[in-house]
Amino acid sequence: MAVTLHHYLVIGAILFGLGLVGFLARRNLILMFLCAEMMLQGVAINFVAFARYRGNLQGQAFVLFILTVAACEAAIALALILMLYRRQGSLDVSLWQELREPDLDPTEDEEPLPPPPKPEPAPHLPPAGKEPLHRKQEKSHV
Amino acid sequence: MLSNLVQVLTSLVDEWRILLPLILGALTIWLCLPRPRPYPWYLGALFGGLLLFYLATLFLRESGFAPEVVLFYAFSALALLGGSMLLTQQNPARAALSFTLVVLSTSGLFLLLGAPFLMAATIIVYAGAIIVTFLFVIMLAQQAGLSDADARSREPALATFTGFLLLATMLYVLKGYQSPNAVDHLLTRIDETLQLDSFEAMKAAIEPKQSIEEKKQDDRDLFRRSAMLLDLAGLRELGRQARRTGDDWRVLESDPDIAENEKPRRTRESLQQLRALLDENRLQITEGLTTVRLSRSENGLGTLPPLSSMSGPPPTTPFAEIRRDAQGRPELPAENAAYLGRTLFTDYLLPVELGGTLLLIATIAAIAIAQRREPGRSV
Repeated sequence: MAVTLHHYLVIGAILFGLGLVGFLARRNLILMFLCAEMMLQGVAINFVAFARYRGNLQGQAFVLFILTVAACEAAIALALILMLYRRQGSLDVSLWQELREPDLDPTEDEEPLPPPPKPEPAPHLPPAGKEPLHRKQEKSHV
Repeated sequence: MLSNLVQVLTSLVDEWRILLPLILGALTIWLCLPRPRPYPWYLGALFGGLLLFYLATLFLRESGFAPEVVLFYAFSALALLGGSMLLTQQNPARAALSFTLVVLSTSGLFLLLGAPFLMAATIIVYAGAIIVTFLFVIMLAQQAGLSDADARSREPALATFTGFLLLATMLYVLKGYQSPNAVDHLLTRIDETLQLDSFEAMKAAIEPKQSIEEKKQDDRDLFRRSAMLLDLAGLRELGRQARRTGDDWRVLESDPDIAENEKPRRTRESLQQLRALLDENRLQITEGLTTVRLSRSENGLGTLPPLSSMSGPPPTTPFAEIRRDAQGRPELPAENAAYLGRTLFTDYLLPVELGGTLLLIATIAAIAIAQRREPGRSV
């Protein structure tokens, strides 16, 4: 069985669904933007597939316009992200939850984040021009 | 009440082909979404592995590994992998890299679909977008350790449920839609039935046997299925003909006067009649199934106005007049970029101008938004 229109429509639908999950679940503004772009990719696959299986170029022309709108969206979204970051000092979208409806409870993070891993200790170097002490256990690499 | 519930459950089980991979995928995504105390990695790997196994069986069921089939599955798998990694990576820089994987495999699919210009355009536009995103990640997300934004998810269970519910709905709709290849499927089934020897085997092949749903609707044997397809394609006269052939066969089946050794021959005759009916009108049926519905609707909209021939054949072109490749799909113009340019500057001139204006406005808006404003100074 050859690859049919349905195969491409299914892939487009899956990309759209994954993008929706990411847009709803992730809290980083930049990642939410990328997930929205992924939804656009799913739609673009649908359009090109219809163009292919219908034998005309209208679907492809539409995808070109999607690209245009995506570029505009990227420019404005990143500018907005920059402004939001300047206000709050973080990319976390939950910091903007005071924009919610007045009768909704704020969401609070109960679980504390795990402590950051300790940085690796910097190697200790002997002063230049001095021969380092040779330890006996040290194996010769020669 | 209880019987209703049982009915709903059986119909859900009947859809396991859609539900099983969706549930596996949802579990994988839900388990792997970032959270302060993550689930052990092997749980996500288990469900993801099961899902991959299921998809691999789908791939292996394809008969004949034409390069196109292999490439389609490879690009699709890469796109899905990149998409899931974009969702589950804690590090935003890595997530942006996974997004490049999605874009590249989508471009591969574009190439498979005969759209080389769009492939190049997508890569160029998104390469720029990704680099800018990277700049932003490096600029803004440079924090030691984990931040609230990256290490937490907002309502992972609800978000996953919502997304996959939408996906399930879309897949269900896609499944119910008549594929343009339905005629070919029916023809192969008829051919397979014609190969059989005994009457009992033929009867079993003609009768519906796939799912509970088809068994419930008793009338979906090969003849009725063909008749339904013909009706759907708008060829009612032929549909009646197919139904008559089916009725004749029913009479033959239940008639005790006909000798047993006569029955296979007579069945074969009916089937060959049906086959000829479908085969002769194959193009018309496919056209009927794929024609834009609007053009045949009765709400007075009438036929869609055809675009100029610059955009390839208009939607109202009779199906038989579209050039076809070996697989029966219409051919696109070979000089994709040239034809696309002609399309854009004939049929879509106004949208192109509007798109350009939109880009200009977006640039100005981005500059206006990102401007650092002094307090007490109006813009």
